[in-house]
Amino acid sequence: MNRRKAIGGILGLAGVSFVPVLGAKYFIGNSSHKNEALEEQVELIAELVDVIIPSTKSPGAKESMVHDYIINYMEECASRKEYKNFLNGLNDLQEDSVISFNSVFEKCSKTHKIQLLENLEDSSNYTGLLLKINNKLRGRSFFNMLKTLTIEGYCTSSNGATKHLAYLAVPGRYKAVTKLNVNQKAWATK
Amino acid sequence: MKNKAQYNTFDAIVVGSGISGGWAAKELTEGGLKTLVLERGHDVEHIKDYTTAFKHPWEFKYRSHLTNKELEERPIQSGHCDAGNKHFFVKDSDHPYVQVNPFKWIRGYQVGGRSLTWGRQCYRFSDLDFEANKKDGHGIDWPIRYEDLAKWYDYVEDYVGISGRSESIPHLPDSVFLPPIPMNAIEQHLQKQVSKSYSDRVIINGRVANLTTPKKGRGPCQYRNLCSRGCPFSAYFSSNSSTLLDAHETGNLTLRPNSIVKKVIYDDEDEKAVGVIIIDTITKEEISYYAKVIFLNASTIATAAILLNSVSSTFPNGLGNSSLQIGHNLMDHVVNEGSYGTYDGLKDKYYEGKSPGTIYIPRFQNVNKGTKTAKFIRGFGIQGKGERENWQTKPTAGFGVSLKEQLGTPGKWKISLGGRGEVLPSYENKVTLDLNKVDQWGLPLVKVDFKYGPNELAMMEDMTKASEEMLTKAGFKNVGSYRNVPSPGSAVHEMGTARMGHNPENSVLNKHNQMHDVNNIFITDGSCMTSSGCQNPSLTYMALTARACQFALKQYFSDKS
Repeated sequence: MNRRKAIGGILGLAGVSFVPVLGAKYFIGNSSHKNEALEEQVELIAELVDVIIPSTKSPGAKESMVHDYIINYMEECASRKEYKNFLNGLNDLQEDSVISFNSVFEKCSKTHKIQLLENLEDSSNYTGLLLKINNKLRGRSFFNMLKTLTIEGYCTSSNGATKHLAYLAVPGRYKAVTKLNVNQKAWATK
Repeated sequence: MKNKAQYNTFDAIVVGSGISGGWAAKELTEGGLKTLVLERGHDVEHIKDYTTAFKHPWEFKYRSHLTNKELEERPIQSGHCDAGNKHFFVKDSDHPYVQVNPFKWIRGYQVGGRSLTWGRQCYRFSDLDFEANKKDGHGIDWPIRYEDLAKWYDYVEDYVGISGRSESIPHLPDSVFLPPIPMNAIEQHLQKQVSKSYSDRVIINGRVANLTTPKKGRGPCQYRNLCSRGCPFSAYFSSNSSTLLDAHETGNLTLRPNSIVKKVIYDDEDEKAVGVIIIDTITKEEISYYAKVIFLNASTIATAAILLNSVSSTFPNGLGNSSLQIGHNLMDHVVNEGSYGTYDGLKDKYYEGKSPGTIYIPRFQNVNKGTKTAKFIRGFGIQGKGERENWQTKPTAGFGVSLKEQLGTPGKWKISLGGRGEVLPSYENKVTLDLNKVDQWGLPLVKVDFKYGPNELAMMEDMTKASEEMLTKAGFKNVGSYRNVPSPGSAVHEMGTARMGHNPENSVLNKHNQMHDVNNIFITDGSCMTSSGCQNPSLTYMALTARACQFALKQYFSDKS
């Protein structure tokens, strides 16, 4: 029994269905990767985006439904490699969660959630040329995709753009030079 | 009772409804000719069909991204469009062409063509450009000079509406200007620093066809910078917002979308073109239309293809091709992928609204004795844009509350610069037909065979070096460039395949854009260009079109009387 299957057993006991990621059950197409594998993980993704961009004075990524955007993107826009990395990344994270804290990520304490993500960030911490090589060979890392898509999904969501950032659909004028006020928000769009 | 041919007979036919076809339609209909405009793509009604114009970012399921399926359908176009404007770019899978060497052919098959999605930059050519071929011996001499075109530039600019500032730069003549789009803090900084460090160059406000003040019921610009989705405020120039509407007003316009021109019909006895055969893309029917005057404005590559496909006993090598130059001398502008740098100061400055314009550094090489370079002949200009980094560009660390705070505030100032350089005319760079392969309409595929020469490559290297040097001297940090492989076609400035010239033996068109071989055919899209300059060329196509229309109208009415 390999490690992943063993963990699957633990998860099974915990009442969470574990999906063998690249088994024959799920066919990953070249253009669309739409299948249940990712949609079944929607709660986990929602918890992850909530840790990456939590709600503060302004709404966070979870209330802004960024997890739905990430699933849409992974299913229809990601490359096959990226999709695999993402799905494997979710499963590995869940493994780490169970091994380290004897609990699935969704049920971990806030501190534990942050710790798990910090471990993940450290392990994908390539920069410069190494990052480029790694991206090319293996596709973008799970953490890299998760963070990038969370930022994008959030800053282009109605909440993110209009409540955390400043969004003007029709500026009506161009003031080329203005004074930046204290606490002035960044424009949401370019 | 009229017979079928009479119903299908007009005074003039214009093939193509893009930026030059729209002008031909306007000038000919206003001149009194019943004019049929044929467009191979679908109709795009001004404003009504700008379906994404008011969409917010969150209303796109995949935000700006194209899906994998959309990418597969658009291996070429996808580099130039996003979810907001993809419907104004063709699916490459529906409209294949053959690339002998990589050449990006960016296309918009619809009423208005690429005038809906163009960059809107407008710069006049000068005699530095019109005399270049004659002086250094590349290509052939232009049959016109700046003074032939100056009043036509005035004429079209007054109608189009171009924002900019008069600078009195001899080799980049001023246009008829609306107030300029101002520079932001970082752009002004670079402008000052460049003037301090260099005596050979200046930074000017980009000249763009965006209305800073209202014009004829259009505009003004609302500073959304979403132009390529189509402007619901009619605030930038397109065929749809302007020329086609005015052509329609005359009552003389018949616009027929979904009509691919298969060939031009030539009467060997009369020695004239008599009409065109189209394929209706919906019914698949072939239909002939007749007219006394024909303007070809299908765009550089497509116009060459139509002529090459129009064989007759007089012209076995393609209509009007006794010079054997049709399809040859294809040019584009050589572009580098861009340089950038960040600036630590000016932290208390920002902006409000989104500028659809740029800054521009007019050509500063080989302009006069003092600016001669041994590295290459002719030269390049540089476009640039400054802004503060936001969530899209800002490097961020970590996650959680601190990440969220970083995203919420404006980042460092950043400037990006990109060069546009002149491509020399070369017989080897060409458009031909691949008679062994056909498209879904049974028409032979277009084959593009194009490569940059050593002059273009030297220029490309220099524009990157010059850009980085200017940024470094102006105190920018993290200065770098995207050094990708050259990608011909990506300037979307293809031109030259039916060049103007004095001599029918080595050119296709005369100084009136009239075919040497067939005097009732005029070609005023990019194919007419004898050299490429380094200026964005649409303005020159428009001026040439208006000028040629006046000549064609005179000829039409004098033939009649």
